[in-house]
Amino acid sequence: MRKAPALVVALGVFAALVTTVPIGYLAVRLVQGWQLALAEILRFRTLELLGNTGLLVLAVTASALVIGFSQAWLTTKTNVVFASGFAVTAALPLAIPSYVMALSYISIFNGLSGFFAAWLVLTLATSPLVFLAVTAALARLDSSSEEVARTLGLGRLQVLFKVTWPQVRTAATASGLLVALYVLGEFGAIALLRYDTFTRAIYNAYRGSFDRTSAAALAVVLLLITLLVIWFERKYRGGYVASKKQLGKKLRVELGAWRLPAALWLGLIAIFSTALPISSLIIWSIQGSANLDLKVLLDALWGSVQLAGLAGIGIGIFGTAIALWSIRYRSRLGQVVEWSSWAIHAVPAIVVGLALVFFGANVTPWIYQTSWLLLIAYLILFLPNALAGLATPIAQVPVLLEEVSQSLGVPANKSMVRVVLPIALPGIVAAVSLVGLTVLKELPATLLLRPSSLNTLATRLWGATEDLAYSQAAPYALLLVIIAGLPALALNLQARRALSEVRS
Amino acid sequence: MKKTLSYLVAGALALSLTACSNPPADDKNSITVYAGRSESLVQPLIDSFQEETGIQVEVRYAGSAELAAQLLEEGQNSPADVFFAQDAGALGAVSKAGLLVQLPDSILEKVPASYSAADGSWIGVSGRVRVLNYNPQKVSQLPQSVFDLAEPEWKGRIGIAPTNASFQAFVTAMQVIEGDAKTLQWLEAMKENAVLYEKNSAILEAVESGAIDAGLINHYYWFARGQEVGFENLTSKIGQFASGDVGNLINAAGVGIVADSKAARQFVEYLLSETGQRYFADQTSEYPLIDGVSAPVDLTPLAEIPAPAIDLNDLDRLDQTLDLIRAAGLI
Repeated sequence: MRKAPALVVALGVFAALVTTVPIGYLAVRLVQGWQLALAEILRFRTLELLGNTGLLVLAVTASALVIGFSQAWLTTKTNVVFASGFAVTAALPLAIPSYVMALSYISIFNGLSGFFAAWLVLTLATSPLVFLAVTAALARLDSSSEEVARTLGLGRLQVLFKVTWPQVRTAATASGLLVALYVLGEFGAIALLRYDTFTRAIYNAYRGSFDRTSAAALAVVLLLITLLVIWFERKYRGGYVASKKQLGKKLRVELGAWRLPAALWLGLIAIFSTALPISSLIIWSIQGSANLDLKVLLDALWGSVQLAGLAGIGIGIFGTAIALWSIRYRSRLGQVVEWSSWAIHAVPAIVVGLALVFFGANVTPWIYQTSWLLLIAYLILFLPNALAGLATPIAQVPVLLEEVSQSLGVPANKSMVRVVLPIALPGIVAAVSLVGLTVLKELPATLLLRPSSLNTLATRLWGATEDLAYSQAAPYALLLVIIAGLPALALNLQARRALSEVRS
Repeated sequence: MKKTLSYLVAGALALSLTACSNPPADDKNSITVYAGRSESLVQPLIDSFQEETGIQVEVRYAGSAELAAQLLEEGQNSPADVFFAQDAGALGAVSKAGLLVQLPDSILEKVPASYSAADGSWIGVSGRVRVLNYNPQKVSQLPQSVFDLAEPEWKGRIGIAPTNASFQAFVTAMQVIEGDAKTLQWLEAMKENAVLYEKNSAILEAVESGAIDAGLINHYYWFARGQEVGFENLTSKIGQFASGDVGNLINAAGVGIVADSKAARQFVEYLLSETGQRYFADQTSEYPLIDGVSAPVDLTPLAEIPAPAIDLNDLDRLDQTLDLIRAAGLI
């Protein structure tokens, strides 16, 4: 077993320590009011919330997997028409914050609410996560085993399920985990669509009754559910295997009579996930553009871009270190660090935000209400997003190349920097983009922790909706979607790059 | 590669320098205000306060409840000097934790005692009235009491916002006046009859669009919408219940001092000055609370609102209110 470089260990341990802040905060709250907390958990309502939350998580994860996988498979492996166009529309909803998606659906379908509404909106908002992960895995897939299977007489569907699926299962389940945790921690869309989950109950405990103990008790239950979900995913997916092969030839599936139905299916999803919400945003924006203060808009844009840029780069560095640690060195401690960053991922942003308010104001006042503390919050909230994106590119760098480099006399750590990182760089950039665009959309922690004078597109959007002026909120939402759309499109190109390399 | 990387690092550092400015030191000439009211609404007033007094005001805008939670977590180390909240509940929660300073009598006596905290820890700044927002084409005769909405004829026609602070304050008032049993009965009827929304504004929108026939909201939402789109373009109207009905509750937005200083007091005094009070009356159609400033002409004077007789200080039993709302299955 090789030992990890000191820098990797230091970055990893720091990230793990930071994630213990919210956990420690929850512990403090619970110890202070354990009787109240117990009473809160033992209510019948908790069971009801558990049922609601579980149902939504399972339903959204399943449908996002089906939609995202079908989009990825059809646009990378088959001869479906407009493949690259459909790939763009499949990735684009990632740029639309789920609360904006919910708002635009409510504006189109008056009175939309309940389980079905929450399921629909969250499925549309999260399936790009699956689409991108699976596309990247499919594009880098070696097709020789598929070809062998075809020559042995297996049908197209049999090849898909028996040969292709097992090879992308790791990427698919990892993105499924992201979807599940996203749904667990989601508040904005769920509140607008009025479906009761744990996270909504936690927000209501804070907002309705300023009841921090009940909120903490519910958050701990949520944390336990998260651990269960992660455990389940780990058990099912197996480990990442470092690839030993170079890129191979691609096999393209001829859809035949299914070409038209496949295009219709992709078109239908595109209408609901992209065309509808974006056109409603454009209509509102035109109505609201009259009273728009351009200086305020540009100021918010700059705030968003600098926070997202800094957070993306910072979290990318931490994420790369942790991914290297747990994949290349496979140490027990490295895995503990990875787990701890995942565990906190579904805890609602308001809990993480308040934990850092408590910690920042009372322990580290010199960074309180500065961008530093906000960046730490983003690190806690979005490190898993980076890890999910980083694991595959790092695991897929052929171990052979590193061994060659070492046999030529380059020290192990230097080989890591000179060989592994450059090859994985496109994947690292993709993960950084993903984090950046997630930060762009974040609201609750940003509101609690930002420097008072710093505004982002998301906080301005929030302000305008508080003012009840949806038409005035729309230009901010639209600009947010456009800005977040750039990394989303870059991610899509990145995922499909290996594909075009081979095809051309 | 190395060069690009060094540019990247330099760029990141430059960005971080501009993004990380420390909050100003708390000298006498600058204060920090946590404002739960909207920026577009109060910032112009704060700007004119800064111009007139030369006191620098750093404002942190967020929801009243989130700011209250933030103040509770910050405890004694809060950077805030003043908390300007949308509703009495948020101020009450912060006051209960002992984080608000007792206001001097010179400030407290500006406003009738029923719009401020009994212990003098916060003071009302502007008043708002609960109203029935209704579509006159669908509702020809206004219900006499909010309890009439429990009748089966209202099934699916009335909108409420059970997670909203103003609605919860209204339910507390109902408990105080009518008792728990009758309140629970009404809430359970609402579970049957009402369409649930997240906010007052969403109710207004639903009444305007015809999705529901009526809803329980605060009066100024209707005025704000009228000013945005033109009163002649509004489909809905607002009305009151019969005299003394709890559905006509008058509530207040208020302000409390977290860290006492001359500048903080000056700020509170400014909100309660004629300029400040006139501003709220004109900009948000809220009720001024000091003597000598009259409400906007199109508003029924506060004294003529058929409001229930209740002291706002009795509205701090939110826990029990939430228990009832939960028991009825509304949240």
